Amino acid sequence: MVKIAKEKLPVLLQAWAAGAMVFVPQEREGTRVFLPWNGEGKLALGEENTLEPPKDLFFPRTETMYRYKVQGQDAEITEVPSFEDKMILVGVRSCDARSFALMDDVFLTKGYVDEFYRRRRENTRVVALACTEAAPTCFCTAFGIDPGRAEGVDVQMRPLDDGYLLEAVTEAGQELLNQAGSLLEEAGKASPPGAALPSLQVDVGGVTEKLQQMFEHPYWTEVSRKCLGCGACTYLCPTCHCFDIQSENLGNTGYKFRCWDSCMFSEYTRMAGGHNPRPSKKERLRNRFLHKLQYFPERYGKFACVGCGRCLDRCPVNVDITRVIREVKEVTL
Amino acid sequence: MAVEARVNPLVPMEGRIVKIIEETPDVKTFHVTTEKGKPFTPMPGQLAMLSLFEVGEAMFSITSQGPEHLEIAIKRVGMLTEALHEAEPGQTVGIRGPYGNGFPLDMFYGKDILFIAGGIGLAPVRSLINYCIEHREKFGHLWIIYGARSPADLCFKQDLFENWPRVENCRVDVTVDKGDEGWKGHEGFVPAFVEKLNPSPEGKVAVTCGPPIMIKFVLQSLEKLGFRDDQIVTTLEMRMKCGIGKCGRCNLGSRYVCLDGPVFTLAQLKEMPNEY
Repeated sequence: MVKIAKEKLPVLLQAWAAGAMVFVPQEREGTRVFLPWNGEGKLALGEENTLEPPKDLFFPRTETMYRYKVQGQDAEITEVPSFEDKMILVGVRSCDARSFALMDDVFLTKGYVDEFYRRRRENTRVVALACTEAAPTCFCTAFGIDPGRAEGVDVQMRPLDDGYLLEAVTEAGQELLNQAGSLLEEAGKASPPGAALPSLQVDVGGVTEKLQQMFEHPYWTEVSRKCLGCGACTYLCPTCHCFDIQSENLGNTGYKFRCWDSCMFSEYTRMAGGHNPRPSKKERLRNRFLHKLQYFPERYGKFACVGCGRCLDRCPVNVDITRVIREVKEVTL
Repeated sequence: MAVEARVNPLVPMEGRIVKIIEETPDVKTFHVTTEKGKPFTPMPGQLAMLSLFEVGEAMFSITSQGPEHLEIAIKRVGMLTEALHEAEPGQTVGIRGPYGNGFPLDMFYGKDILFIAGGIGLAPVRSLINYCIEHREKFGHLWIIYGARSPADLCFKQDLFENWPRVENCRVDVTVDKGDEGWKGHEGFVPAFVEKLNPSPEGKVAVTCGPPIMIKFVLQSLEKLGFRDDQIVTTLEMRMKCGIGKCGRCNLGSRYVCLDGPVFTLAQLKEMPNEY
């Protein structure tokens, strides 16, 4: 086992940044954000996770798909150059690491591969950071996630008092550590603090089966009453993957792009001609919770929630998925 | 253009509208081809994403095909369809597909088929009717029951009144909600017309498509006539953006209409949330 001293971590990031874009949580405007490392930022690898999940590094908020040129009846399209940059994500928590696996299920399986996502994902290495303290809104363990050891990552970091333990999980991870050279030292008997244990305990056992019988239940009217339909939950959710496709015209040229969309918005399902299968917030909120807890498990065999707690932390009216899970299990059919 | 080792399913081919047929005051059929010929070869019931680059992109059912082109019948209902209706032959379009499952042909081989459609709902059903006619020996009796609001709103009139009635062992019955001076045919709504014609469920499979309200009542009529849930097939529509099960919006429960549909049996539909 090797470790790196706290003051040497920026040097390591700098070394990695020579061959890739390194994204690491940094302080900006009083919050923590995954930003490219330029050697000067203030690292934010403390107890709290980033305000926004790192999903936009694989699935940007807006992404150009192709360009077009229109001349009378004629038109021509040009594909955009494929994304070739290498990325290294440093400081990814176990919950967000799980979300990458869920996004992979959506974008890389079931018959079609999303090329935009694949290019970014395949060129990325992930260095995870173990959590030593849980926020009041954390509940990752409900989904079998270990806050001390992330799944599907290349390197696992664990904080020590004066540095970080580094463990290569994959060959690519070992290569990253090899680049560190003399920055690393033998960890000896250094033992990291234990992993955080969330205080928010949620039992998701049986919730899918219960929800399968609850589509018409009056509970959805009740729970959606206070929802403002603002979409903050979907924006902050590391597993929400819905997108819209739009075009931007600039004279006789233009480009087609995709951008994040939200199932909380009425336009989302409204068809030309006006028919909307999910006309009110009751249907929309129901769809969001059923997608996380019933539809995704039915389709991919996993919950589409990682217990990061961002939605319940930031919802302006305290719609709380952990409470929904508890209440769903209690309501009478 | 970047050299692509893989095909990006979200980037369309450049296609061209080569022919436009005015079916009704608000429905036109567009024949679309590409420089390399037919964009792709869909199975009956499959879908295509059609776009005018500077306006938008939407999913349409493919109503028929020739050796060199696809036929897409489009009703004028929104921004993109309005722009398409203003287009002239020669217009460049984006096209990608084919998408969706199409009709489960195995279910139809050797059976008598009852087609029930209303308005533009005949478009997807027509792809199957034409397939059955092309492979006539594989299917039993074909019975087409079709209705529209008025005689002027009947789509595919040449098929309805000339081509299909001439097909061997094929029957066509047409109704309109309300006739005009020249109309000598049946007047009334499709579901009541179906009940009046009283087709026997024996050895049959029923295929229905039309406005949601028509589908709802046709399903009731078919059940009344003794059709079982696994003898009835319908095709759904939802708002779609990607067409490949990623963008999220066309889900019915855990299924995506673009990928797992648009064709479902009534038995499947009854297991899914009633949210379409």
